[in-house]
Amino acid sequence: MLEKALIPQILAIDAGGTMTDTFLIDQDGNFVVGKAQTTPHDESIGFIQSAKDALNYWDLGLDASFPHLKTGIYSGTAMLNRLLERKGREVGVIVSGGMEDYLRTERAIQTYLGYPFSDRLHVITHHHNEPLVPRERILGVRGRIDLFGREIIPLYEGDVRDAVHRLVDHDVASIVVCLLFSYKNKDHERRVREIGQEVMAERGVAEKPIYLSSELYPTRQDFPRLNSTIMEAYAAEPSRETLQVVQEVCRQAGGRFELRIMASHGGTISINARELARTMISGPIGGVVGSKFLSERIDVPNIACTDIGGTSFDIALITDGEFSTKHAPDIGRILLNMPMVRIDSVGSGTGSYVRVNPITNRIEIGPDSAGAMIGVSWPEGGVETVTITDCNIVLGYLNPDYFLGGDITLSRERAIDAVRAQIADPLGIDVYQAAAGVLELFEDQLKNSLLGLILGKGYTPESYTLLCYGGGGPLHVAGYSQGLAFDDILVPAWAPGFSAFGCACGEYAYRYDKTLDMALLPGDGADKRRAVAEAIIAAWDELKEQVNAEFKKSGVRPEAVSYRPAARMLYYGQLNDLEVPVDDGYGSNLEKMLDGLYDGFEAEYGKMYGLAARTPQFGYMVTAVVMTGSTPVEKPELPNEAEEGPAPPTAALKAGRNIYADGQWVPAQILDLQRLRPGNVIEGPAIVESPASTMLVPAGRTARLDRHSIFHLTTDAA
Amino acid sequence: MTVYDKATIEELYRGTLPWPQLKQMMSAFKDVERFDTFLAVLQEQVPWDDQVLLPLGPKLFIVLKDDGSIVTKSMSGHEFGDYRENWKLKARIAVRDTDEKMQEIYPRWMHADPAWMELREYYDPLDGSLLEVEAVPPGYPIVHSFEPYLEGFYTEWLGREFPPKRA
Repeated sequence: MLEKALIPQILAIDAGGTMTDTFLIDQDGNFVVGKAQTTPHDESIGFIQSAKDALNYWDLGLDASFPHLKTGIYSGTAMLNRLLERKGREVGVIVSGGMEDYLRTERAIQTYLGYPFSDRLHVITHHHNEPLVPRERILGVRGRIDLFGREIIPLYEGDVRDAVHRLVDHDVASIVVCLLFSYKNKDHERRVREIGQEVMAERGVAEKPIYLSSELYPTRQDFPRLNSTIMEAYAAEPSRETLQVVQEVCRQAGGRFELRIMASHGGTISINARELARTMISGPIGGVVGSKFLSERIDVPNIACTDIGGTSFDIALITDGEFSTKHAPDIGRILLNMPMVRIDSVGSGTGSYVRVNPITNRIEIGPDSAGAMIGVSWPEGGVETVTITDCNIVLGYLNPDYFLGGDITLSRERAIDAVRAQIADPLGIDVYQAAAGVLELFEDQLKNSLLGLILGKGYTPESYTLLCYGGGGPLHVAGYSQGLAFDDILVPAWAPGFSAFGCACGEYAYRYDKTLDMALLPGDGADKRRAVAEAIIAAWDELKEQVNAEFKKSGVRPEAVSYRPAARMLYYGQLNDLEVPVDDGYGSNLEKMLDGLYDGFEAEYGKMYGLAARTPQFGYMVTAVVMTGSTPVEKPELPNEAEEGPAPPTAALKAGRNIYADGQWVPAQILDLQRLRPGNVIEGPAIVESPASTMLVPAGRTARLDRHSIFHLTTDAA
Repeated sequence: MTVYDKATIEELYRGTLPWPQLKQMMSAFKDVERFDTFLAVLQEQVPWDDQVLLPLGPKLFIVLKDDGSIVTKSMSGHEFGDYRENWKLKARIAVRDTDEKMQEIYPRWMHADPAWMELREYYDPLDGSLLEVEAVPPGYPIVHSFEPYLEGFYTEWLGREFPPKRA
């Protein structure tokens, strides 16, 4: 689809564990994906190779294109790997006296996080994590702030001096301070830092950075707060240097853009941002950010986002144009207290292993998977257990000679033999029946998770548009949407690269959260209301300053920043809070601001739990305040081409083949995605192939490619 | 179908498997040959020739002797008599029932009150290996805490004759 002069505008890089993908977008929304091997010792090498690979498709060189780039977004797994491999900085930790064993005792949930249900049930599989910081470098100091922020025991400054001396003796790279209730009162933590700096000056050692939990992550729950602060010093700070190298490499190639990274709250932030650890858990959210962008551009407010990769099925909901946020995510079995785009994940993907349970004689899928090793059908992968991909090969849905555009050849014979030996024979059924049964079960599981999530939130599929992306999505979307009356079903032509695309769609935004805990009960008078309103606004102002301070590092002035304040609220006495956005124009009318807040909460609550569940007579509690500041940045354009007739051009037709559907082999039309034109309508049974993905249109359903290169798959629900 | 080689099961027995592999084994379906492989591993560990029918502990087994009798036998070779009899009664028993004896193995204030609970340690009369420990109220009888229905296990679960023919 590329004819005229290309000027690359946006560069999005996803440095994975093995491959670095580059997504390059030009001024008209055209894009290419480049790939190169990741180079863990110096990520900038893999990055440049990958960018060159992408530019090759457009016959462009680095020097000719980098100066035109307006935006560069980076996301990578280096930080996460540093955590998983326990190869972070040597950090020292100062905690409240008596709490020194935080990392050894953990919270029980950390001993089974990430486990499938069966392993969570069995205590024998639970397992303590290796602490990020060994016990001898975690020291306690006496002193206590209580839950209201009052000083109950003064800080024992002698303890602090001793602790700092010992940590300096250990030659730690930095010191993390996390004291009880410091989110309510920062005084003790600040004093620890002052003393620490004094001690280091007295000893004449180079000053080591001191990280305060009350500055970085001032929210309730000391354990995740400590984890998050340690993560910052342990894993994130070393990555900053890597990112600076990548930025420098871009500069040398003529790039004048500032490199940004996707952060867990769904915005992109500068590589100089203070809270860098939140970029570590941003892996799967690119797709959701892309979906939100799509939601705005094509004016579809409610989207159910589904992403099938090799190992998992990720689901997120966009409602009224917004994704929702959770506040206690976890990564690498460690609980954190930072905001993260809410995504539900099911351990079923195209690489999931399929086995027959010898006890029950039933088919079981996952939870483990062959990941990048595809399945038995790829002899070089060394996989011996059947995967979902193998079943797709057996039934003719996947073309064994066109996997990854033919870069690797899969063996259908191997897949058939394995499915027969491992699934069909033990069950006493035909090999094709067996493979079809596996896929039906797989898609049913996905459908149930999807439906469960939507119904569980009190919504129905009818009010959502289903969006599907990820390498495996287009092949299974027809299956897992079967019988569900979604408003529409969308499959972007660039589904496999949608997450990288999503990273490029991210706002340039900083978000800060702060625990507040202000109650407002039914009998409270005007004075109390004013006090609450003033406290909320003061907290917002404090967070605004933090937002501005971060933007200042990138030379963005406060006038260019737009603010979105929000509060997390609940009915007094309840447990789960909801995030309520507030109009920034509250000005000096405090009553109006409060009323807006409470009305907003009532509306959110009614949407989430039903109107009848609202109970304002309990009174309210504002648990935390949130401030998001964003500034406009260059975003991708959606492809936009005039629609042509419904009949696909003959050039798009490939040699047909039979596929197995409803118990029999039927001839299917095979189409080449790259040669389809906007407006074309594909009638099932048909398969649309592209190098990175395969889409199935079953008999009785059709898929129309629209002007934005998005397929609209019809539903089969009555 | 899950299959492990004997070397893996031997490592499982010794406790030398790396955690990720151990976790994977615990989460996976159990291999059907596990019982026999495990007995084979045990058979190599014991210094005598009687056939192991079931392990009772790291150093205690139910074995089939050449004369056809089935007895409880320790690693050192001490025989406690018929497997249906309470072997504990024939072991050497040490009872920790005072603060002093408790504090040989526990820090002060960290053990149970001996007036409420005592520790009984059962030792091998031959080599003094610790075979079992129980924590019970004083005066509690010495019960045969695990008396397997061995015949039912072999005939109904494993589908074999009992007593089995010598391997």
